[in-house]
Amino acid sequence: MVAQLTQFERRLALIIAGLMALCGLVLAAFGHRDPIGVHGLIILAAAIGTMFVVISGSFADVPDDSHLGRYYDDPIKVGVVLAMGWAVFAMAVGDWVAWLLAYPEMTFDAAWSGFGRLRPMHTTGIIFGFGGNALIATSFHVMQRTSRARMPDQLSPWFVLLGYNLFCILAVTGYPMGITQSKEYAEPEWYADIWLVIVWVVYLALYLRTLARRQEPHIYVANWYYLAFILVVAVLHIVNNLAMPIALASAKSFPIFAGVQDAMTQWWYGHNAVAFFLTAGFLGMMYYYLPTRSGRPIFSYRLSIISFWGITFFYMWAGSHHLHYTALPHWVQTLGMTFSAMLLVPSWASAGNALLTLNGAWHKVRDDATLRFMMVAAVFYGLSTFEGSFMAIRPVNSLSHYTDWTVAHVHAGALGWVALITFGAIYALVPILWKRQGMYSSALVEVHFWLALAGTLVYVFAMWNSGLVQGLMWRTYSASGTLAYSFVESLVAMHPYYIARAVGGLLFLSGAVVGCINIWMTARHAPGTAQDAVRDRPLVILASRSLEPGE
Amino acid sequence: MAIRERDPHTGHMTIGHEWNGITELNRPVPTPVWWFLGAAALFSVVFWVLMPAWPLGDTYTRGLLGVDQRTTVVQKLAEAEQQQAGWRRRIAAADFAEIEADEALMRVVRGAGSALFGDNCSACHGAAGRGGPGYPSLVDDAWLWGGAPESIAETLRVGVNAPHPDTRVSEMPAFGHDQILDREAILQVAAYVRSLAEPVSAAASHSQAVAAGKEIFAANCAACHGDNGQGNSDAGAPNLSDSFWLYGGDPQTVFRTIFYGRKGHMPAWEHRLAELERKILALYIRDLRSWPEGARR
Amino acid sequence: MFGFHYRLERHSIALAVAIILVASVGGAVEIAPLFTIDETVEHAPDMRLYTPLELAGREVYIREGCYACHSQMIRTLRDEVERYGPYSLAAESQYDHPMLWGSKRTGPDLARIGGKYSDEWHFAHLFNPREVVPESVMPAYRWLSRNELSTDDLGRYLAALRKVGVPYSDDMVAHAADDAHGQATPDSARARGVAGRYGEPTNIRAFDGDPGRLTEMDAVIAYLQILGQLTKAAYGSAPDAGE
Ligand code: HEC
Ligand code: HEC
Ligand code: HEC
Ligand code: HEM
Ligand code: HEM
Ligand SMILES: [Ca+2]
Ligand SMILES: [Ca+2]
Ligand SMILES: [Cu+2]
Repeated sequence: MVAQLTQFERRLALIIAGLMALCGLVLAAFGHRDPIGVHGLIILAAAIGTMFVVISGSFADVPDDSHLGRYYDDPIKVGVVLAMGWAVFAMAVGDWVAWLLAYPEMTFDAAWSGFGRLRPMHTTGIIFGFGGNALIATSFHVMQRTSRARMPDQLSPWFVLLGYNLFCILAVTGYPMGITQSKEYAEPEWYADIWLVIVWVVYLALYLRTLARRQEPHIYVANWYYLAFILVVAVLHIVNNLAMPIALASAKSFPIFAGVQDAMTQWWYGHNAVAFFLTAGFLGMMYYYLPTRSGRPIFSYRLSIISFWGITFFYMWAGSHHLHYTALPHWVQTLGMTFSAMLLVPSWASAGNALLTLNGAWHKVRDDATLRFMMVAAVFYGLSTFEGSFMAIRPVNSLSHYTDWTVAHVHAGALGWVALITFGAIYALVPILWKRQGMYSSALVEVHFWLALAGTLVYVFAMWNSGLVQGLMWRTYSASGTLAYSFVESLVAMHPYYIARAVGGLLFLSGAVVGCINIWMTARHAPGTAQDAVRDRPLVILASRSLEPGE
Repeated sequence: MAIRERDPHTGHMTIGHEWNGITELNRPVPTPVWWFLGAAALFSVVFWVLMPAWPLGDTYTRGLLGVDQRTTVVQKLAEAEQQQAGWRRRIAAADFAEIEADEALMRVVRGAGSALFGDNCSACHGAAGRGGPGYPSLVDDAWLWGGAPESIAETLRVGVNAPHPDTRVSEMPAFGHDQILDREAILQVAAYVRSLAEPVSAAASHSQAVAAGKEIFAANCAACHGDNGQGNSDAGAPNLSDSFWLYGGDPQTVFRTIFYGRKGHMPAWEHRLAELERKILALYIRDLRSWPEGARR
Repeated sequence: MFGFHYRLERHSIALAVAIILVASVGGAVEIAPLFTIDETVEHAPDMRLYTPLELAGREVYIREGCYACHSQMIRTLRDEVERYGPYSLAAESQYDHPMLWGSKRTGPDLARIGGKYSDEWHFAHLFNPREVVPESVMPAYRWLSRNELSTDDLGRYLAALRKVGVPYSDDMVAHAADDAHGQATPDSARARGVAGRYGEPTNIRAFDGDPGRLTEMDAVIAYLQILGQLTKAAYGSAPDAGE
């Protein structure tokens, strides 16, 4: 990977790694009595590892200008591999956690392995590790192809990808040590949060710089979504993570907001992490891989505009539906509920736009499991957004909130939409990246598809059932008008569903493992294509420093 | 690459751009989308007019209906109480014996008591009220503080060793730890205590110790547990001559009890449960005893 | 409209700015007024602060992820009020950085758990939940009674919280570590300091049953026993002696 870097970039990489090593050393030294010290060591190790790779690769010749005529795909390959690695890891933890709710003794007498520490490992590992890497990798691919421009340099994509994974590692190694801010989906502590801001700024700059080099006059829809994902996540992340560390050599910090204001900020963040991480980014993915794989034009350009701006505007108001009937003032709840209802329209417009794009290609959906992944994902996207808007209605939420119904909704979205669209995109992308005619085995893609679909259905139906049973038992009244069931009675009723969910999760996880094997075999053994980049439009060569917008 | 083409499948024109093979159809937004958007917006506007909705600096629009979640729930609770007024009044007014004799009221007690007991008491006393080490069974015949419904209700109100001004107070002294008795004496009195519950087996094996223990018991323990260990429900001192054990009747546990002492803690429920709820619970507990094994849900 | 967009989508910076503007409205309208509308947080003049030991317990609660299974927010719904007690007020978590309202009830709500059970019960339950509640799926937290509580940072905790608006006094900050020990060591000189600084009704007990050691178990139990007890505001006007 270093061979592709220019001399200047190699030196810059060394300087950055050196600075990071210094930061790691300082944290490790001053924080040696605090868990932050361990993170200092991890940062130090990562930086030294990077320096080692850069130095040992520096003896290779500096690339000539011919590489400027090709897209820069090396970081994308690594990103895809990392995404799959995180997927298997985080789903395995998710399944472990699922079994724990059925058989709580299936763990160790050790703090790191408690449910409350493993659960954020699952959510962070899957959303940020799997989802984030998939988004970064595909965005690098999509932004280059739809701009017909190579990324402006070779270093910043590596910085973004590897720096981002360092953030994920700091997060996921923090929980077992007890480092957490407890804010759902924003658990990492202040220093990891700051690091993510740095990585994110470079990511945004890279995206804008690539767009600036584009040879197409218009920016394609997929890029609107990726851009919204990057920009809005930055805003959300910064505001929700404002915190006061107790000392610079300590991992511990206190968020600056408290009580009701903190709750609103947290769920403004939490809901829009769903919106702009788990939705907008993946819609960007869908907008590229679905039409290219099916070979069909997007159903309606105008519908894309409506849904994009509808999603961007309405989503940001909906966070208060996580706080219905709480100490949050009623007026905010009304706004959250009504905007969630309006949000359904652009959401379904997106799902519809995707499904209708397949008109004229349904025979391909039948034959090609990769395209079927994307089709089913769009269906689940429609389903989970409908469910979400439904659950945002206050009386419905009074039943669903706090129960497994929320978990069912989450995983209808997460497994059915996020994971399936990602697998579809990866299966479309891998042969392109490794210049193969296709995946090593399309039968294995088929197997993965059915395992994933079965796992999703088992999971979601189990949790719908348990959520409803739970919610109803909590508010069932006996003939004399008093509560009929105690809490523990509802807990006992959950047991069979928890087992079913864990089995469903195991199916889904096995599918992902099959996917990993298939990708590995494709990269190593599948027959290659004769022409280089046969599927891509030829790249217009720009002088490497050129920054003129490509109009 | 601005070439507008006609898509052969749908017959629509593309917008004339192409990104690495992707094109888009320049088709109008399907009208149902506008209808639904309009309907959702209309629904929202109506809602905003009726309900509290928009912030205005240091206040917010209250909505024409004047609804607020807090007044709503208070109203719902009052309505519920109203609906239950019939049996509530009767249970509040009647004394325990009357209620226990009234099958209709006892059905209410069982219905209401089940969740109340499950959510508040079963954590300590077990789902079936059978207790566990340190937590008395409520379905046996041994009562620390008396088994009359009035005594039970009073225990519920004030608790035992609880932070309530009228709490019942009880403590089994730590005879060993506080060096009142030596090890030998404790072993002897423990043997005696065990012999009270199981006269045959204990007397046979340790007759010597039992005899010595009896002396020690009379000097140190009888003040609370009574001359024959029959207990004293004013002091919460358990009967030691029956077959029920609070902490356990095996030699080690009895030794520990005497050596380190005991001080059970039962929370006071006066400020957590209403008087009527406590009355229902007292009745429910007494009723539990008559339920066949495993009859509780 | 579509013509305008046709032009907008040719300029990446304009597009980015438009996204930021469109996306900012919702948050601004919903969050900012929560600071300006007075009635958002009720008046609770009797509200007291977490003692250093309770705060340390809160940190253990966060660290162990108890919030993943337990809410601390009783909603304004009949069944919740009947099961858990008066609905939660914003005032009750006004000093909670961060709030721990939670989003999932695998276990029961804990907003009013304080005083509901005895310290001994909490100890037994945290040590092995299935010992006291056979049906429970809650993890066993045995290490809480093994781990000594580290009090080194408590002064900094209080100081940092003061910076974000919790009214701890200099005296409280200076004695944080002492107060943590004192609250779990009744009859000691340090215990009297706690009562002086945080008020007579403060629970001062050997929460884990062993006054000789200050453990993480002491801290969590002290925290659990104060939940719902910091202010009586939620109980309306009814005076609540004896708790
Ligand atoms: C924190 C644990 C705990 C909870 C919760 C609890 N109890 Fe108790 N209860 C005890 C203990 C311990 C004792 C024994 C006190 C003693 O040692 O004298 C006791 C004693 C009693 C007694 C007296 C028994 C006797 O033999 O005289 C009754 C009656 C009782 N509990 C009923 C209830 C009811 C009803 C509830 C629920 C509203 C309840 N308890 C909740 C721990 C608890
Ligand atoms: C100050 C009063 C007092 C004295 C004196 C006293 N006890 Fe107790 N004893 C109690 C009380 C009260 C309990 C119940 C403790 C509880 O409920 O937690 C108890 C409980 C016990 C138990 C446990 C019963 C069970 O069911 O597990 C035993 C055994 C016992 N006492 C034996 C003795 C012996 C032997 C002595 C004398 C050496 C003695 N006690 C002296 C008050 C006393
Ligand atoms: C896997 C989910 C889970 C986690 C994590 C968890 N709990 Fe629980 N908790 C439960 C369940 C289920 C119950 C109900 C059964 C029982 O009482 O054990 C419960 C009950 C409780 C209760 C009794 C509540 C009542 O009103 O009866 C307390 C107190 C409690 N937990 C505290 C904690 C604390 C403190 C932690 C963290 C150190 C924690 N829990 C972590 C699941 C969990
Ligand atoms: C093998 C597949 C999976 C299994 C077995 C699994 C299992 C679980 C379990 C047991 C929980 C905790 C629920 C609870 O506390 O009751 C959970 C939570 C969660 N999971 Fe998964 N999961 C899987 C895949 C995924 C994927 C692919 C994603 C996202 C892309 C995801 C996102 C989440 C989120 C966001 C939560 C938190 C939900 C909430 O707080 O309401 N999971 N998962
Ligand atoms: C129109 C779109 C959507 C709406 C209106 C919506 C609404 C909701 C509602 C009402 C809840 C329950 C809040 C509660 O009671 O606690 C929820 C939870 C959640 N939703 Fe959605 N949803 C939508 C789409 C999605 C999608 C596509 C995903 C993708 C994965 C998703 C992921 C989640 C997650 C992770 C949670 C759990 C949050 C938590 O409590 O931790 N949602 N959503
Ligand atoms: Ca954070
Ligand atoms: Ca959640
Ligand atoms: Cu949401």
